[in-house]
Amino acid sequence: MSDSSPSPGPGGIVLEVRDLAKEFVARKGRERVRAVDGMSFSLRRGEILGLVGESGCGKTTIGKLIMRLIEPSSGSIEVEGFRSGPRGGSGDLAYRRRVQMVFQDPYASMNPHFRIREVLEEPLLIHRLGKTRRERMAMAARVMEEVKMTPVADYLDRYPHMLSGGQRQRIAMARTLILRPSVIVADEPVSMIDLSTRAEILRLMKTIQEEMELSFIYITHDISTARYFADRIAVMYLGRIMEIGSQDEVIDRPVHPYTRALIEAVCEPVAGRARIARGPLAKGEIPSASDIPRGCRFHTRCMFAEEECSVLPEPELEDLGGGHLHACRRWREVAERA
Amino acid sequence: MGDTLRAGREPILSVRGLKLHYFTSKGAVRAVDGISFDLYPGETLGLVGESGCGKSTAGSALLGMASTPGRIVEGSILVDGIEVVGMPERSLRRDLRWSEISMVFQGAMNSLTPVYTIGELMAETYREHAPKRARDAVARGGKAQGAPMSKYLRLVGLPDATLGRYPHELSGGMKQRVVIAMALFLEPKVVVMDEPTTALDVIVQAQILDLIKGLKRELGLSCVFITHDLATEAEIADRIMVMYAGRIAELGSSEDIFGNDPGKGSQGSRIGSLHPYTQKLLASTPRLHRRVSELAFIPGSPPDLIDPPVGCRFAPRCSFAKAKCLREEPPIAELGPGHLAACWKAMEDPEYERL
Amino acid sequence: MRIGEFWGEFSKTRTGLVGLGLMLAFVLLGVFGGLLVPFRGASTHWRDIDYWRDNPLAAPPAWTNAFVAEKGAPSSVLDRFKLEKATRDDGVAIETFSFDYRFAYDRPPRDLVVRVPGSGLVPMTMTLERPDGLSAELYREQVDLSEGGENRVSVTRDCARAAIELVRSRDEALADSMNADLIEPVDVFFAKMGPGILEAPAALKGHYEIKIRALLVSPEFSVGKPSVVVSGRVSGILGTDAAKRDVFTGIVLGIRWALMIGLLGSAVTVVVGVFLGIVAAYFGGVLDWLLTRLYELVYFLPVLPFLIVTSAIFKPSIWVLIAIICAFFWTGSFKTVYGMTLQIREETFVEASRALGSGPWRIVLRHIAPILLPYSFASMALSVPAIIVYEASVSLIGLGDATIVSWGQILESALTQGAVINGLWWWVLPPGLMIALMGMSFAFLGTALDKILHPKLRTR
Repeated sequence: MSDSSPSPGPGGIVLEVRDLAKEFVARKGRERVRAVDGMSFSLRRGEILGLVGESGCGKTTIGKLIMRLIEPSSGSIEVEGFRSGPRGGSGDLAYRRRVQMVFQDPYASMNPHFRIREVLEEPLLIHRLGKTRRERMAMAARVMEEVKMTPVADYLDRYPHMLSGGQRQRIAMARTLILRPSVIVADEPVSMIDLSTRAEILRLMKTIQEEMELSFIYITHDISTARYFADRIAVMYLGRIMEIGSQDEVIDRPVHPYTRALIEAVCEPVAGRARIARGPLAKGEIPSASDIPRGCRFHTRCMFAEEECSVLPEPELEDLGGGHLHACRRWREVAERA
Repeated sequence: MGDTLRAGREPILSVRGLKLHYFTSKGAVRAVDGISFDLYPGETLGLVGESGCGKSTAGSALLGMASTPGRIVEGSILVDGIEVVGMPERSLRRDLRWSEISMVFQGAMNSLTPVYTIGELMAETYREHAPKRARDAVARGGKAQGAPMSKYLRLVGLPDATLGRYPHELSGGMKQRVVIAMALFLEPKVVVMDEPTTALDVIVQAQILDLIKGLKRELGLSCVFITHDLATEAEIADRIMVMYAGRIAELGSSEDIFGNDPGKGSQGSRIGSLHPYTQKLLASTPRLHRRVSELAFIPGSPPDLIDPPVGCRFAPRCSFAKAKCLREEPPIAELGPGHLAACWKAMEDPEYERL
Repeated sequence: MRIGEFWGEFSKTRTGLVGLGLMLAFVLLGVFGGLLVPFRGASTHWRDIDYWRDNPLAAPPAWTNAFVAEKGAPSSVLDRFKLEKATRDDGVAIETFSFDYRFAYDRPPRDLVVRVPGSGLVPMTMTLERPDGLSAELYREQVDLSEGGENRVSVTRDCARAAIELVRSRDEALADSMNADLIEPVDVFFAKMGPGILEAPAALKGHYEIKIRALLVSPEFSVGKPSVVVSGRVSGILGTDAAKRDVFTGIVLGIRWALMIGLLGSAVTVVVGVFLGIVAAYFGGVLDWLLTRLYELVYFLPVLPFLIVTSAIFKPSIWVLIAIICAFFWTGSFKTVYGMTLQIREETFVEASRALGSGPWRIVLRHIAPILLPYSFASMALSVPAIIVYEASVSLIGLGDATIVSWGQILESALTQGAVINGLWWWVLPPGLMIALMGMSFAFLGTALDKILHPKLRTR
């Protein structure tokens, strides 16, 4: 496939994930961990999809799968119709140009011995863009302006440890933009940054997203920031999507018991809560991904579970209309009780 | 609300003018630079602020713990009448820590020594911090541990069998419950909790917070709850103290800080927080049940604590700052019943509503 | 770490500075030493007997005079002379060369060697004029010098009879009792005349003149610049050995070889170890398995016995020896680099680079190797002492490369030629001390580097 400029697939879909699964083998084959256990979703041009879940839900693994840092056990990922090719080939590079990642730890994601200009130059060198040093530096300067790290000359020669966390994350963003991708995977981009600076980065991401019509996969455990940033939200549990829909639908009118529990669990900065208990939201704790419960995988913790939930096979995502899907067999009864 | 809690009672914990500095080769870092507050029996005081504001240092100081190169240079800490500042290490260990005031450390659930069972760990704490009680218990023919440990494990929702388990056999939530039980079972008057829920998943967090609320009710626990997250603080604290750059920016009840929810009727509604920093912090916290189009952020970064600026420490980043703010440090003043703030604007601006 | 930062920390370490200073001194001596030593041609002529002919055998260092009551005459070369040219009535040219020798010692030199170059048939006489006015005719011969030849007269070898004649001029009877085969001519020439001259010679101190008189009977015949070598009783900075070689020269030459062996060996060792370590750790799989097995094999093989056996059978040159040492030593840095690479490989910035599409070699060269570089230098410095000692050990037992001048070689000849038995401490001690000193300097340097540059648990 030729590496021509990005072309959206039909209906403006830039990323299509089908039946994706990833199994890790641990402890010399005795343990099989299904980190991602059959996920399908798509992303349109200019859309932000929030992947929300607690630890062990597979959201980081999905990010790595989309970035081709690890290979799926089954299923497919397509970016603008490109499926990635063997490592190092032109197909591989064509894929990687279109998908970029912002990592959680702004310091660790850059080699501390690289100056900022070297950090920004690396993607250009790998993809052979910019034939001369000057061309490459011009491209670097452009993305630095896009992330508002000006005056550019001030920062190009610095080392990462000379910048604050927020500044480093801006550079990380600049690095993702320099190849003009279509999809950006942001894995907890602000969780290691101070509260008062978080909004700065989120705002920046939103601005860039709007200006360049980028599509985002925003991975987080904090559903509140997903509300602020994402258009659609997918709630993940033990490697599968439990509920997905527009952020209004999922947060204001959740259907799946897990989503309900998550939303109930969130703390809000309002007065008068100190003496009010929330009551049990879910039983116990997240089971290990090497031992996924039978039937509906959430049934061991679900406050509304009945026998059918553990006996009958795992429910597929059901469409409630308007793009709001969920995977709960008893959702009508749950809606009445809750 | 905060008033009724305090009316006619003596504080169980009283801090006056506390200063804790870290003496490094580059100079003295004034991590905690003059804070004063009280904690009343049965209440939870939240200490909130961003990284570097001094809240964790202040928390540790309450137990007389200052990690080198830190030292308490000034001030007084009275725990149930006992002066902590100046107490020698041996007395601190034997008579104060864990028996009068205990602490749940940040990341404590991951610091449980893996080679000992929970029972052995708790027994060691018992021996270390309540040797007299332990000896008495042995003299009475019973084991040094046993009864109080099981009681508290049950209180935090864990089965007795946990005593025989090793830390790695427990989940994150269970470990945190163990740590809380360990902080409580010598029945101290005050418990300091430093980010006890930060490393936990959201739902487990809610469970633990509910647990702490329950313990407050059952045991009449007096608690200092330290976190960087205002939302978590709102969930658990009766009164909240906002710290910035080693000082107190604002101190007030939950209502004082967060105000009444607008939309629930505006009669007698107050604006809420008085200090611009608190306001900005609130405005930069994303909300789940309210659609926020813009999140606020605070440009710049906190001041250098080795050489803090004269004047208000927040002034360089404050959108309301005037010349006076940069020149003169505002004193902390009571601007409403039980509502204190250190801000010139809050003190002098007639637009602020007062009750 | 940046250079400025590094230097700031390094200059604070005492051991580091000492090590660095010593190493620089060694390097300077190694490079320029050849110019400083009294015997310029020594490196090529180390085993050439003729080259060292004029040196005394097993003479202690000159400075030992300071510690003894009876001071011996030190070696020197007299190259300043007065030339008188005269012509006889029959037209024969006479050239007289006079050398002044100041003898202010208690014991005379071992020998005086007169060298006269020239061509043709040249009658020559040599006389020694003593401060007490006596004059001894040392030599009288018609010398046949072919084109560019040289006449070499050694007082000890050739002038026994002349010594007896000198005595005879004063004491006939004594002279008769002297046996030309048994006396030491220098003991006579430099002693006061008197009855005790044979049993207890007393030094005659003062200015001596050595005169060489050459008759040039034909215009084609000529003599060039003569020289007189005083083969002293004490000699040089570190004395001479049983083969008459100046030990100091040998030691300085040994610096070059020690540096060469040490630095080359350590450089190759570390480069190989680091490269293999990175490759094994980064690529994993079969390569990792193979290299780790290789590492284990080599690690457990004992170096010295292997070296000994190989040297005994194949008698390798120094280069092959170094290669063998390297083939064993790379295991040291391999293990550490392996561990470090495994760690660095998991760093987020490596992951980020892979996400961008970096191939493995880009990651190895741009991300991993630069982090390992500082440690590699420390590792190199630290392996130098061991490599030097290995070479010395092999040389010591006679299996080294006998064509080079290394401290090990010097030690070997010292031991086999009886230095210990004969108490020639100036031959035995210096090479050992130098090995220790160079080892120490690199160890200091390496330890200081290691302390500053060693990877902490995190790479930042």
